[in-house]
Amino acid sequence: MQFGVFSVGDVTTDPTTGTTVSEGERIKAMVRIALKAEEVGLDVFAQGEHHNPPFVPSSPTTQLGFIAARTSKIILSTSTTLITTNDPVKIAEDYAMLQHLADGRVDLMMGRGNTGPVYPWFGQDIRNGIQLAVENYALLRRLWREDVVDWEGKFRTPLQGFTSTPRPLDDVPPFVWHGSIRSPEIAEQAAYYGDGFFHNNIFWPMSHTKRMIELYRTRFEHYGHGAADQAIVGLGGQVFMRKNSQDAVREFRPYFDNAPVYGHGPSLEDFSRETPLTVGSPQEVIERTLSFRESVGDYQRQLFLMDHAGLPLKTVLEQLDILGEEVVPVLRKEFAALKPAHVPDAPTHASLKAAAERARDLETIEEPIR
Amino acid sequence: MNEKVIAVVTAGLTTPSSSRLLADQLADAVRDELSGRGIGTRIELIEVRDHAHELTDNLLTGFPPAKLREVLETVTGADALIVVSPTFSASYSGLFKMFFDVLDDQALAGKPVLLAATGGTERHSLVLEFALRPLFAYLKALPVPTGVYAASTDWGPNAAGLRPRIAQAAGELVSALHHETPTQADPFENPTPFEDLLNS
Ligand SMILES: Cc1cc2nc3c(=O)[nH]c(=O)nc-3n(C[C@H](O)[C@H](O)[C@H](O)COP(=O)(O)O)c2cc1C
Repeated sequence: MQFGVFSVGDVTTDPTTGTTVSEGERIKAMVRIALKAEEVGLDVFAQGEHHNPPFVPSSPTTQLGFIAARTSKIILSTSTTLITTNDPVKIAEDYAMLQHLADGRVDLMMGRGNTGPVYPWFGQDIRNGIQLAVENYALLRRLWREDVVDWEGKFRTPLQGFTSTPRPLDDVPPFVWHGSIRSPEIAEQAAYYGDGFFHNNIFWPMSHTKRMIELYRTRFEHYGHGAADQAIVGLGGQVFMRKNSQDAVREFRPYFDNAPVYGHGPSLEDFSRETPLTVGSPQEVIERTLSFRESVGDYQRQLFLMDHAGLPLKTVLEQLDILGEEVVPVLRKEFAALKPAHVPDAPTHASLKAAAERARDLETIEEPIR
Repeated sequence: MNEKVIAVVTAGLTTPSSSRLLADQLADAVRDELSGRGIGTRIELIEVRDHAHELTDNLLTGFPPAKLREVLETVTGADALIVVSPTFSASYSGLFKMFFDVLDDQALAGKPVLLAATGGTERHSLVLEFALRPLFAYLKALPVPTGVYAASTDWGPNAAGLRPRIAQAAGELVSALHHETPTQADPFENPTPFEDLLNS
């Protein structure tokens, strides 16, 4: 199982001090968080893509390329790549390029983006969100898999004899997760292609997450990619930890109360009951995270949101120490002990490359002897 | 004996609430009307005030907390609705509107609804026609022709005038119950096959 962190990249005033970091400081802080994630033994760093303040990461491959140069093990991913408003041609190029620079340590999570005003800035309309995700992704897949593409669709200029460069590393396209919160169509899309499905459940009740994952698993099996329990599932999580539970609650409450998205709404206690948010001791985080498996089955990727709502970098780095030292090692052991042998791990560049080579060998063996 | 489930949504704020009083009288009238036709009634009463915080939470987080979720399911699962709003500033109250704002906009499609409101002055009785009716038309519900508005005076000297309006509206709601409410396709039970999404 893979463990990691995902960052939205918000610039939010620290409600306890009133200080607001600059965009530059926030960008550097995200890099620092990625390096720390590798240092403490996490498997994945994923970052958001946004084109409106108060968010900084508009250019994820620039940032991930910089991080790639300064890390050696961690998988670089996105949370999410806007498949609706980006040109699929540019996504194909940018991430193939990043794959080469990062020696294959790259995958992507597709997302639609739920900020209405962003769509028209890129010539689109949020009401076409699902259709855009479907068409753009279909094109993206072909650009990575076919050297020369002729293509015509509804949303972008046709392509004639187009080759997206560079070709994916080892001719193995990056693995793709489809991120969704409430659209059954996206679970269907992930299942159809046999791609991964990431339910960004951090602000949602587990009962809903369970339904979405069940749908994805059933349809994954329907499309012949394997048994339902072999589908590739990822979940989010949101935690804040201190040795003593009460200290964690006391320290995190002002950030919670003023947070973008849910601030000024439910109490920390209500929200913790309704969603995966866990504010408490490392042991409580371990127990809560293990409980996700009871709702969705054995899954492959667990990402934690650690750095939003104005938490200072110093605090976030402390949190990553706790996560890496006290929580993830236990979770790794416990999840591994529970997972049956036929449930696969999340694909990586190495595993996809090996699978492609096996498929090629099989083809040669089965070539009839003339 | 078959049974109809009537959800009553009332948004009064005071205790005792005149909106609640009107809601109870409407529910009783509907119960009488149904039993006259040999049909049983289960009344599910929802005081919106009891869910005021949860409604705000829902608007801010995008999902209903557990208790509110149950209430919303009761409303969407009912055979018919009775809705009562106090008149605030010549319209339904904000709290009343919030309740219908967090419902899915298809959730009430085809459902018979009895519209009712209370107010300080009888001069605002058209709140039913100018505020509540368009709202429920938008939600594709089936509001019955007669709405019931009760001003302060309807609880005193004009009380006798209120009774026939309540009976009339209750009769219309029960007649509307013979409509088959269209059941909605569950996208989780019957997802659109991906080939259809690709070709649409
Ligand atoms: C903020 C506010 C605005 C009001 N505006 C109106 C109004 O425009 N017209 C009216 O007839 N009554 C108005 N009223 C009176 C209420 O509609 C009336 O008291 C209602 O019946 C109270 O319902 P309840 O007893 O169920 O809480 C208003 C009351 C409040 C508190």
